[in-house]
Amino acid sequence: MSLLRFDGVAIQLGGREILSPTSFEVGKGEFVCVIGPSGCGKTTLLRAAAGFMVPSAGAVLRGGKPVTGPSREVAFVFQDYGRALLPWRTVEGNISLALEAAAVPANERPGRIAKVLDTVGLGAHAQKFPVQLSGGMQQRVQIARCLAQEPELMMMDEPFGALDAMTRENLQDEVSRLVRDSGLTVLFVTHDLEEAIYLGDRVIALRTNPTAANPSLAAMINVPITRPREQLATKEHPDFLRLRRELYQFLGH
Amino acid sequence: MKDAPRLSGLTACRPSEPPTGGRAGRFGAAVRGGRSRVQAVLRAGAFPGVLLGALEWYTRTVGANSDALAPPSAAALALGRAMLDGSLWQATAFTLGSAALGLLVGGVFGVLLGIVFGLSERAAGMGFLSVELLRPVPSVALIPLVMLVFGFGLRMELSVVAFATFWPMLVLSQAAARQVEPQLLEVATALGLRPVDRIVKIVVPAMVPRLFVALRLGVAIALVVAVTVEIAANPNGMGYAMMIAQQSLDPALMLAWLFWISVMGYAINAGASRLQVHVARRMGALQ
Repeated sequence: MSLLRFDGVAIQLGGREILSPTSFEVGKGEFVCVIGPSGCGKTTLLRAAAGFMVPSAGAVLRGGKPVTGPSREVAFVFQDYGRALLPWRTVEGNISLALEAAAVPANERPGRIAKVLDTVGLGAHAQKFPVQLSGGMQQRVQIARCLAQEPELMMMDEPFGALDAMTRENLQDEVSRLVRDSGLTVLFVTHDLEEAIYLGDRVIALRTNPTAANPSLAAMINVPITRPREQLATKEHPDFLRLRRELYQFLGH
Repeated sequence: MKDAPRLSGLTACRPSEPPTGGRAGRFGAAVRGGRSRVQAVLRAGAFPGVLLGALEWYTRTVGANSDALAPPSAAALALGRAMLDGSLWQATAFTLGSAALGLLVGGVFGVLLGIVFGLSERAAGMGFLSVELLRPVPSVALIPLVMLVFGFGLRMELSVVAFATFWPMLVLSQAAARQVEPQLLEVATALGLRPVDRIVKIVVPAMVPRLFVALRLGVAIALVVAVTVEIAANPNGMGYAMMIAQQSLDPALMLAWLFWISVMGYAINAGASRLQVHVARRMGALQ
């Protein structure tokens, strides 16, 4: 059953067509990665999916109903964790914000905060301010805040783009694990081919400057590699290498 | 935050004297720290001390018959008398009280309207002309009007202070609200924060560093305007007391008030500065 459906969604910004009519579905519990070069409209697509913007044509449907605006059922992880956390609130306070927004009673908050902090491995840092944490830890806080929202769908906009390679791989594995444990549905935007294949059940490739002959949706491929995946073994897997080659060509390198 | 460095911090920066104890050890460092602090105070006080001495000498010799100047020692005695008879505290309380209340009124309205203007282009467009027409009105030019409405006293003074502080608070908080990180507003949207919470939990805390700039400016304006109103019209407070001293040809008392008003100005600024540091620490900006 599809949780999210793009039905001929097209988006124009400033008279330029960013996204030509695009249709696809995301099933419940599926991890779908969207990939493409800069300016291909992948972030725009994600924002439309989250209800931050209205498509110029077509419709985004979530659970069969048109998306008209943001919803608490949809969490959004921004790329720039440094600007997405409230610098004046501690880790705990930042996560609490999601619960306050959802009008969770004050006496239930500490338990739920502790639970999500545990999930992302930040249990010992509840009282720290974001500025006292490393980039990777700050991004974990943002992910924890999204988990506290208890969404059915999580949008992630290049969440590891600003992190160093080691931290990025650790977080990839952690997100993989917690998504599998929680049964979340994820739409994940990245410009990193390997990341897309490593994380996704499916990869959607977009191209820039779409035309009628070459629409935005360049390719949609399934990733048949079983989970749990593993940084070394998975990335040496023949399927992985084949998909990487295919996508590489699709993206027109 | 950094405009009032501690004196020890100043001396620690001198290259000849490393800030750590070195061979002298902890005890030596502590002693030297104490001594250098005394030295720093002496150094900073040298110039004012020389000035006071020169004034004392001048007023006791060449200008002994001056109606405008009095020896600093006489001014100090006059200040002491004013402290003892209570007039100093009563006038100080009136001036600072009406300045504070005026700033509170002007600040609250200024910040609220500033938030509205800062968040809504349309509201800012609607208010722009009125603001630009009213803002240049010199606040003390309102004294005749306000006196007709309220008569003498606290309400008259605080309303002039409120008018004078309202504009800078409005303009600065409007700029502060416009500069709130847009990503944070998107976070609020994504989390489904209600409009009131969006302002209380995101916009206002994000404005705090810039609001402190407005506050520092506001307290200075409030004190200046309050004293001006008392000198020009209101028969209350420090400004009026200074005028009375002048008119009764008591330059010692007049200078005592002048000195005291500047002490108050210094104390208020230092207080605002400490509050700013305290709040910044609470909000995780200083560790």
